[in-house]
Amino acid sequence: MTESSQRVRARGASLMSSGEARRWIDALEIDTRLLAMIGTLVVIGLFFNVATGGLFLSPRNLYNLTLQTSVVAIMACGMVIVIVSRHIDLSVGSLMGMLGVLAAVVQVHLLPTGAWFNWIVSLVVALSAGALIGAFQGYWVAYRRLPSFIVTLAGLLAWRGGAWLLAKGTNISPMDERFQMLGGGLEGAIGPTWSWVFGIVAIVGWTAIIIDGRARRSRLGLAARPFAVDAGIVIVFAAAVIAFVMTMNSHLHPIRKTPMGIPIPVLILSVVVVIISVMATMTKFGRYIYGIGGNPEAAELAGVNVKLVTMLIFVVMGVLCGLSACVSIARLNAAPTSLGEMEELSVIAAAVIGGASLAGGVGTAAGAIIGALIMQSLRNGMVLIGIQSSVQQLILALVLILAVWFDVSYQQMRKR
Amino acid sequence: MERTPIASMHNVYKAFGGVHAVEDVSIDVMPGEVVGIVGHNGAGKSTLIKILSGAYSADSGRILIGGEPVNLRSPRDARRYGIETIYQSLALADNLDASANVFFGRELTRRFGFLDHDNMRVETRKVLDRLKVRIKSLRSQVADLSGGQRQAVAIGRAIYFNAKVLIMDEPTAALGPEETRKVGDLIRNLKSEGVGIFLVSHDLHDVFDLSDRITVLKTGKVVETVHTKDVTKDEVLSLIILGQRTASGKGVMAQ
Amino acid sequence: MMKSSGLLGVCGGALVVLAAAACVSANAADKKLFGVSWQHFNEERWAKYDKACMLDELKKFPDWDYIETDAQASAEKQTSDVETLITKGVSALAIIPYSTDSIKPAAAAAVANGIPTIGYDIQVEVPGVFYLSFDNAEVGRIEARGVLAVKPTGNYVYIKGSQTMDISNLVHGGQVEVLQPLIDSGKIKIVGDQYTDGWKPEVAQTNMEQILTANNDAVDAVVASNDGTAGGVVAALTSQGLVGKIPVSGQDGDIAALNRIAKGFQTVSAWKNSCDLGRQAVQVGVALASGTPADKVGKSKFCGGPAKVCQDAIELKPVAITRDNLNIMLDAGWLTKEQLCAGVDQVPETVHGVNPPPACK
Repeated sequence: MTESSQRVRARGASLMSSGEARRWIDALEIDTRLLAMIGTLVVIGLFFNVATGGLFLSPRNLYNLTLQTSVVAIMACGMVIVIVSRHIDLSVGSLMGMLGVLAAVVQVHLLPTGAWFNWIVSLVVALSAGALIGAFQGYWVAYRRLPSFIVTLAGLLAWRGGAWLLAKGTNISPMDERFQMLGGGLEGAIGPTWSWVFGIVAIVGWTAIIIDGRARRSRLGLAARPFAVDAGIVIVFAAAVIAFVMTMNSHLHPIRKTPMGIPIPVLILSVVVVIISVMATMTKFGRYIYGIGGNPEAAELAGVNVKLVTMLIFVVMGVLCGLSACVSIARLNAAPTSLGEMEELSVIAAAVIGGASLAGGVGTAAGAIIGALIMQSLRNGMVLIGIQSSVQQLILALVLILAVWFDVSYQQMRKR
Repeated sequence: MERTPIASMHNVYKAFGGVHAVEDVSIDVMPGEVVGIVGHNGAGKSTLIKILSGAYSADSGRILIGGEPVNLRSPRDARRYGIETIYQSLALADNLDASANVFFGRELTRRFGFLDHDNMRVETRKVLDRLKVRIKSLRSQVADLSGGQRQAVAIGRAIYFNAKVLIMDEPTAALGPEETRKVGDLIRNLKSEGVGIFLVSHDLHDVFDLSDRITVLKTGKVVETVHTKDVTKDEVLSLIILGQRTASGKGVMAQ
Repeated sequence: MMKSSGLLGVCGGALVVLAAAACVSANAADKKLFGVSWQHFNEERWAKYDKACMLDELKKFPDWDYIETDAQASAEKQTSDVETLITKGVSALAIIPYSTDSIKPAAAAAVANGIPTIGYDIQVEVPGVFYLSFDNAEVGRIEARGVLAVKPTGNYVYIKGSQTMDISNLVHGGQVEVLQPLIDSGKIKIVGDQYTDGWKPEVAQTNMEQILTANNDAVDAVVASNDGTAGGVVAALTSQGLVGKIPVSGQDGDIAALNRIAKGFQTVSAWKNSCDLGRQAVQVGVALASGTPADKVGKSKFCGGPAKVCQDAIELKPVAITRDNLNIMLDAGWLTKEQLCAGVDQVPETVHGVNPPPACK
């Protein structure tokens, strides 16, 4: 089903490239690829909703779905910039495992139980250790010119071993109570009021950016987009945010029966996406990441400090692994040494389904989030129906292949 | 010499793994002068210009800019001294748009150090207008542009920042006659603005048409530097192939 | 140049270690050797219980000495490890196989050399090898019985282990053995049944969340196959405010799981005392080496492997650990009272059995 809808969409895109519609979409500056993925997500959602008799799109399941997606999605945001710069990071699963165990050791074994600073100290330790290890791996890739595949393959082995050493093979639990809120459990949501504040800030912020852009363009004498288009974009965005907040607010606390609101991991994920997207599109660092991915030699000749940028990319990846690790152990209320095993594959798959090209230069954080959502929706829906994990794996593999095939043929059609 | 060269290289050496790519080479260019650099493949042209553009560092020798000795350790250094280079490969990031490429490495920023996309697009439009090249959408990635448009982006990047010295490596190799003519006009234009230009080319016709002096390289050494008006194409060809002015051996050997 | 000298250094270092190892074995040459080939000596359990108790048991036999190799999770290395141990002339050999298939030729070679060989903890399915392990079907039975004791009827969920490992199905077989009659009679209904990729708690958590959603929380009991997956299940139950209201099983006696049992979050953990297993291995090895026939040493025949090879076997019974007998674990020195009872006094009132278990009083 996805296959045929993608084929239709791809054919549509090729018609557009020669026609009026294409020029329109160019003028609107809308990412057609992102639209296609959102469409795929909607199709998956509707399919499972019918198959589960309305269960899939219930507030409760959507609440769980966003929570279940956040761990992989946070790392996928980092994986996108790694892949864009023509590298790969196979160590993320193991690194996340080790950082999770580290954060757990800090709060369970080192710090006094129940102290107020427990959660913040263990979070900071995990993030800084992630940054350090990222810098270490990045150093070998950037300054010693080893292939990232090899360096991070070594990392995959090493950090898993590190997790074992830190935990001595045990499963560390339970987590500090404040720390558990990072995982979005019973008390890990921000409630209806703050959810609305979050939603309104997002809408106002987005609107302000668009108004500011219009003002700047008119000052420079550039043609601004038609007012109706900008207004349309704001309205669609606002509607999506409001729908999201309302959904999260209609999921009730199972005991108190009060609205839950946005879970903290999803809040963390939103902040990560905004930061990574701003970094990618609005800063020199982001521009260099894409430039290096497009043509590393050109970046070098343009005076970009390619080595430093490459190393920093791995630092960002390491920090996001630390963040993901904290969310994961908080959610599980335990840090098993197997934490994150094979997760590198989910993370890479999410980035690739989300449009990152292993040839480099192409990919967005927003795409990676949708890639992660597509994968988790399939898993989530299939367990609801009661499909066994072996079949789930086959279907996820099929989706990965289809997504890449769609991308390749879309690129070829665009070139013609 | 009554004037100071705007850029000069003296006794420059560069070896890769024991093989001398450039050996005791000295060249210079005056403000508003075009110096053609010719020679076979492997004669050392590319290595020489990469040294001047900061991509390679010389093993020994001196480089002077406006009479002052400088130390070029990276392309960034060279750009700071006003040396701009248009590489034969163009060195464009194909996945980025025209203005991102023009400003690659020297982006314009606004508040909080954010990129000023709109300003960069306006400026890109201006520099492309100066080159009389139209690009339909400044947002399309340069991979989607024609050979001439891509060339224009690479040239635009070099001239936007008011280069004092411009190095052009085979600027017309990929172009049709019309576009080649445009590049010729541009070179004459820049010359009149006082830019010193090194023109590396296989095409002797172009070189004779545009340059004031010609430096001939062979196996990493300077065979001879001649004034264009004093020589014929056949004589230069003979210098390139045989390393001397005529087959009878009357020419001046390389020092 | 730098590189080659570095390489020399590494080689030199390796030689020194090898020489030291050779000296140790030379000193022990006049004694009989009890050889152990570990698959990957990185779990706390191996050093703390299995090996420690083997060494302790060996003290009873003064003419025996201990020798070991660690395959570090490599099937190839383990093959050469076993060959090395054969060459050293071990009088008894315990193998903890990393790959149950690749180990077969090396184990067959040991048997052919007349060395009493034991498949330790995991079966080595070669004729003539002794099988010494825990009764994994009994683990499953303990899990099912433990849950059944709390909820004799209702909606049950199976959270199974990794589908790529034989042991998952052995354990699940025991669970089914106990529950199937009740399922057939309609007293119990299975409303969720999922394998857990890699036994990962996160996966078990997500699967449990989905099963709860699919049944609108109408779940009465969860038969989870080990303590890790039980941890994931308990996390999912916590998010729905159901923790402590629904019995959950597990195995391994993980410290975290025992703490959950003390708090009333988990019902039972099937505990396999690895120390007993280590002692048994030494006794079996010594008995076989002194000429006692294998069918006299073995207490049962085990034919349940994939190839249905029948072997003389000792299958130790796991112990069902519940709130009432947690002190067994304290007595065994498995964990401290502090670890066991951490946070027991802060358990919310929603959980049944708020009063601390006997072991925490």
